[in-house]
This record gives sequence, structure tokens and C-alpha cells, in this order.
Amino acid sequence: MERAVTVISGSTLVCSVFVFQLILLRVAANTEGDALNALKSNFDDPNNILQSWDPTLVTPCTWFHVTCNSENSVTRVDLGNANLSGKLVSQLGQLPNLQYLELYSNNISGRIPEELGNLTNLVSLDLYLNGLTGTISPTLGKLSKLRFLRLNNNSLTGTIPMSLTAVMSLQVLDLSNNKLTGDIPVNGSFSLFTPISFKNNQLNTPPVSPPPPIVPNPPAPSTGRESKDLERVCVRVPANPEAASACPPCIWAM
Amino acid sequence: MSIVCVDVSKACLLWVCDSKLRIVAIFAGASVWLLLSCSLSYGVESDINCLRSIKETLQDPRKVLNISWNFENNTEGSICGFIGVECWHPDESKVLNIRLSDMGLKGSFPLGIQNCTSLTGLDLSSNELYGSIPSNISKIIGFVTTLDLSSNSFSGEIPENLANCSYLNVLKLDHNNFSGQIPLQLGLLGRIKEFSVANNLLSGPVPNFINASNLITADSYANNLGLCGKPLRPCTSASKSSNTGIIAGAAIGGVTIAAIGIGIGMLFYFRKASMMKKKDDDPEGNKWARSLKGTKGIKAS
Repeated sequence: MERAVTVISGSTLVCSVFVFQLILLRVAANTEGDALNALKSNFDDPNNILQSWDPTLVTPCTWFHVTCNSENSVTRVDLGNANLSGKLVSQLGQLPNLQYLELYSNNISGRIPEELGNLTNLVSLDLYLNGLTGTISPTLGKLSKLRFLRLNNNSLTGTIPMSLTAVMSLQVLDLSNNKLTGDIPVNGSFSLFTPISFKNNQLNTPPVSPPPPIVPNPPAPSTGRESKDLERVCVRVPANPEAASACPPCIWAM
Repeated sequence: MSIVCVDVSKACLLWVCDSKLRIVAIFAGASVWLLLSCSLSYGVESDINCLRSIKETLQDPRKVLNISWNFENNTEGSICGFIGVECWHPDESKVLNIRLSDMGLKGSFPLGIQNCTSLTGLDLSSNELYGSIPSNISKIIGFVTTLDLSSNSFSGEIPENLANCSYLNVLKLDHNNFSGQIPLQLGLLGRIKEFSVANNLLSGPVPNFINASNLITADSYANNLGLCGKPLRPCTSASKSSNTGIIAGAAIGGVTIAAIGIGIGMLFYFRKASMMKKKDDDPEGNKWARSLKGTKGIKAS
């Protein structure tokens, strides 16, 4: 009798653990599916690229443009050149095994979520050629396995976070064609990066820079006809975007 | 005078305008914009020409480039799949790194690389390349961070101009036939983390690397003709300079000894001469004195 009770309780325990694991796995998979579904909800998808993204499925691993590992956890999201618009979501940070986030060449706007800093397995972050605004979050410095960081051709502002210099795995950095300001770090991993990575911003040029603007003769006294126009000191600036940081905001005067 | 400020694709051009020049300014601005946008797209086409010229100037007996580097399909990013080519972005023909190590390539330094204007890494190691490194190397690969030309047959001097490649982190020139002195200006490369010129025919003092003196060991200079200076033995007690020192010292010593000898000899000679002269003078003097004494003596008493 006692033995039967032991056997029954033992098998119940095993069963419940098994079921519990199944539920856990399903819940985990669903979290990732929910995260990606939140992304889909925030996107306008005129080409129906995300048609296969069915949130009722157990895992997102059968969705097109999503790749999972052997444990059904998302490792890649490949949505480059997909004509997507809309904004990124903070839930993107809930993909703990994500290695490749490819969202380049779309019309995505809004900020880069700071939660992307939670993607500690991320190897490639490609958000280039979009309409992203706001700053580069210092949390990206937590991405200790990051090799490719390409945020070029957006409208990002603010400074380059120093925390990125601690990401020693960084191999390719492209921040060109944005509106970044401040200094260009040269320490840590940034020793590998040349002006090519920082072209066309409003960053402070490093010491080895083009000659400073030449200030010619002081402005001549204005005549009555042109007294409406703004009078400023004449400055000849080389057609070099880095040196253009000295330029005031531009207006088109006819 | 009024200022026209023209926003030209994120570059800002300011110049003086009055009402007469306004039209000229607008026209100039538009043409600059056209030029800029042209240069952006031309930069990509130039990368294709860069790779094309590498293929044309290097001999490829193993036919490694022959198969992979196919220029017939000119779609954007097609060169990014070429063997040894790494692009900045997978779908844009902008070359980031060229790695052609151990491919049996023969020829001289491919000057056409200048057209890969965004190149940061060049590895041509373990091939059969010969000739010298171009003297205007920083104009050809000015942004390079890794340059590996090791294990080839490059010769001639290491160009001074290499010191203008200020972004260099890794510079490997070992196992070649480089001769002459290492340009001391290489010590100004502030980002150097790895440097080797071992196994060459170099001589003279080694550069003093301002930012990496602890990273550069004697191994960086091993197997050359006569390099000296920290971390190697000091240059002042090097064999060549000590030889001349010994010769100079011996010469000076010999001259000094000879001069002293002559001086002593002359001293003796004159002493002897003066002594002999005294003896001759004395007899005459005495006779005179005695004759004088005689007469004077009588008078005195």
C-alpha cells in the first residue's frame, strides 16, 4: 500500500514537473512571439511582409523573416528593405537570444528603444537607412558581443555614448549621415574607427583637421535696399561637412 | 552686403553676396549639390574599379580571383560576395577590408587600391609580391587601420609617408627584404597596438613609439642587419661607432705622445746648448776680470 502511494506520488511529481516545463516553454516562446507581435502592430506594412506573423501560434519560429535556435528561441529578425514604416517598440528587448536585428533600409521613425541594451547576445544591430530620431542610448554599451553597429543615414542627435568604447568586440561602426554632436571617442574599441565612420555629422573634428575658417574683411555697411537682410560676418568655410559645425542654421534666401 | 546660406546636403557653404551675385550664388550652390551627390555615387563605382585594377595588376596563378571576382553582374553590392572582400554594408559596393592572404599572388603593390576610398583593412600577407611600397602610401590607403604585408618579397626602404597613416593599429611588414633605416616618424603613430619589421635587412635606430613603447618588444625587430635603440641595445655602443672611437683615440694619443717626446728632446738639446755656451764665455771673462783686478788693486791701497 505504502509502495503504491510512493509510486503514485512520485509519478505525479514527475508529471507535474514535465507539464510545468511545457507551460514554461510555451510561456517563454509566447513572450518572444508577443514581443514581435507588438512590433508588427506598430508597423505599417504595405507589402504584407509580416503576413505570416500569426500570434496564435505557439512560437514565432515558423514566421517568415524570423529565425530560431534549437530551443525555439528567436536568434534573427531579418526585415531589411521591407518598405516598413512606423516605430520600434521597447518589447524588442525581450528577445534574450537575439543575435541579428536587421531592420535597415525602411521608413522606420521614432527613437531607438533603450531596452535594446538588454539584448546581451546581439552581434549585429542594423538600423541604417531609416528615419530614426533621438539619441543613441548609452545602454547599447551593454551589448558586449556586438560586432556590427550600423546606424548611419538616420536623423540621430546627441552625442556618441562613451559606453560604446567598452564594447571590445566592435568591428564595424557606421554612424555617418546623422546629426550627432560632441566629440569623437578614440579610446578602447574606437581606436579602430576612422573619420569614415563619422562622416556627415556635426561632430567636433579631431586635432588633425582641415584648416579653420578664414574670416575675410569685416562686413561692408548695408544699403537701404538690403537692410532687411541679416548682416553677419563673412566666413569662407570649406565644403567639408565636419568643418560645417561652425555654420548657423541655414535659411534659403531668395 | 548680405549673406546667402545654402543648405547643401548637410554641408554648409557661406559666402558674401550682394544683389548682383545672388543668382550666381544660387547657381553655384545647385552645381555644388550636384557634384556632391555625384561624388557619393561615384565613390561606389570607384570601389568596383579598385577591385578590377587589383585583379588586372596582380598575377593569379592559382586562379583564386579569376573565378570569384566576376565583374559582369554589376548590381549594387555584388562585389561584397567576392572572396577576400568585406563591405561596409552587404548591399552597397563600399569596400571595408581586403584580405588576400596566402593566395599565391604575384606582382607589385597594386596602386589601383587608391580607388577603394573607404578601405580600413588590407592584408596581402604570404604572397609573392615584390618591389617597394609606394612613397605616397598615405594617399593610397590613408584610412587604413590594419596593414599586413608580411611574408612577401617587398624591398627598398619603408616610406616615411607611412607615418601619415595615422589610424594604423596594426602594421606588419615582417619577413620581407626591406632595407635602410626605419623612418623614425613611425613613432608618431598614436594608435599602434602591433608592429613588426622582423626578418628584414634593416639597420640603424628604431623609432620611439610615443603611445606604445611597452607594447613593442625586441621581437618586433628580430633578425635584421643592425638595428639599435630601446628595446634593443643602445645605439651609442654599437660596433661601428666604437671602432671609429678607438681609432680617433689612438690617433690623438699618438700625437700627444709624439708632441711630448719632441718637447722633452728640445728641452734637453737647448739645455745642453746653453751649458756649452757658458763654458766658452767664462775663460774670456776671467781674463778680463783678472786684468781689471790687478790695476784696481794697486790704486785702492
